[in-house]
This record gives sequence, C-alpha cells and structure tokens, in this order.
Amino acid sequence: MSTAYTVGLLVAVAGLIIGFMAIVRERDDLHRILLTDLAEVLALVLIALVATDLAEALILPGLVVGISELMAVSEVYIAKEGLQKPHIEPAFHIEVMDSAPGILALILVAYGIVLSGFTGGAVAAVGAVFYFMCRDHAEQFELIETVSGYAWVIWIAAFFIFMFLPQYWLFAVMMAGGAILLKVMAKMSLVGTMRGGSNV
Amino acid sequence: MTPEFILGCVILIIGVIAAGFPRPRTYLSRLICLEIPGLGLLLIMLAYDEMLALVTFIGVTAISTFVLVRVVERRGLE
Repeated sequence: MSTAYTVGLLVAVAGLIIGFMAIVRERDDLHRILLTDLAEVLALVLIALVATDLAEALILPGLVVGISELMAVSEVYIAKEGLQKPHIEPAFHIEVMDSAPGILALILVAYGIVLSGFTGGAVAAVGAVFYFMCRDHAEQFELIETVSGYAWVIWIAAFFIFMFLPQYWLFAVMMAGGAILLKVMAKMSLVGTMRGGSNV
Repeated sequence: MTPEFILGCVILIIGVIAAGFPRPRTYLSRLICLEIPGLGLLLIMLAYDEMLALVTFIGVTAISTFVLVRVVERRGLE
C-alpha cells in the first residue's frame, strides 16, 4: 500500500467524520439535502483513490446515481413542503439573453458529439438542459423516448458484435459510443423540463 | 505523492469544514461552499489521470447546481 493511498484514505475518513457531524447537528431539511451532496463528493474521493481504470468505471455510474437521487429527493422535498414557483418579473430585458442559450447549447452539443460515449452524452445533455431551462419548450417527449429506446438497441447490438464478430471491434465501439451518447443525452435533457411545460 | 494530490487533499478538508459549518448559515452560502470540496476531488482525480471521471464530474456538478438552486429558489433565501 503506497503512502499516497494511506494519506488519501485518512483525509477521506476525516472528511466523512466532519461531514456526518454536520448532518447530525443540522435540523433544517434543505440544509441536509445540501449536505448529502457533500457526502457524495467524499464517497467519490474514496473511489478515486483506487487510481485505476476500475475507479473510473465506478465513478461514472456513481455520478449518475448521485444526480438522479438528488433530483428525486429535491422533488419529494418540494412536494412535501408544497412549495410554489415564485412569480418575479425579470428586472431588465436584453437581447443577448434570447440568443445566447441557442448558441451555447449548440457549442456544448457539438463538443459532446466529438467526445462521444458517456462523457459526450453528459456534456451534450448539459447543453440541452441549459437550452430547455432558458427557453420555453414545447417538445414531444414521446419522440425523445423513442430515440432513447433505439439507442439502447444499438448499444446491445454493438455488444453482440464484440462477442461474435470481434474483428469488427472498431465499428462496434463507434456504434456503442454513439448510442450511449444519445441515451444519456435523452435521459438527462429531461432535467431541463423540470420547470414545467405544456407536454410534461 | 504529487503536488496535485497534496493540494487536493488540503482543499478537500478545507472545503468539507467550510460546507459543513458555513459562516452565514444560509442555503446559498452552503451551496457555494459545496464547490470547494468538489475542486479538491477534481485535483485528486487529476493526480491519478482519471480524465473521463473528471470531465463527467464537471458536467454533473453543473446539473446538480441547477437542481439545488431550483429548490432553494422555491424555498426562498433564508
């Protein structure tokens, strides 16, 4: 066991003790939700200390589970407290606020497609989420779900190519990368619609 | 023990204390303090060359900030 691993483990355990002390002392529910995010970061440190490809493979699903758990808990909290969206008029109106979301979303989605795979899906999804949050949206979500379903089928087909026709591995990697990009993006872009809309 | 790793560990501990016991105890200050341990984690990932995990963590942090700000906005700044 290397020194770095021991030191990192000690730091992570110290952080976990401080973090859980803070959670125990906290009375307000929303503060506790915020501290859950801190606990997630500390858990990811523990995994990152493994420092191999295994760590990377474990961190990616950990992140996705973490974000979906955070969304679910925050939705439950809003429903429990019966909180309403505040109606505040924007203080000023400038033209760039209308045009910027489209351009930024386009850049992020294009970069995500270049990256491809899981990371590309996440980056492209941030672009889509940003666009949906800044603009009103009237998208047909059945279409997104259909695309997501086909992407899953392509992903599985790529795995069959890996198993039965291993000489075409590059083609299968490309298929799997593109499909998982579509899948992650379709799922995560639903986050952007949490403000409500006609089709949700 | 690379410099990134040591710096990451130091920032992580500072960030955990800052996010656990923020000075003005408001939602917003705690949300901002939560970025500090995230930076420590990023430096630790950088020390171990975990590029994919690093990039995805940045993307997911952006979305989780959206989600949390939405709750804080509805709850009211307090």
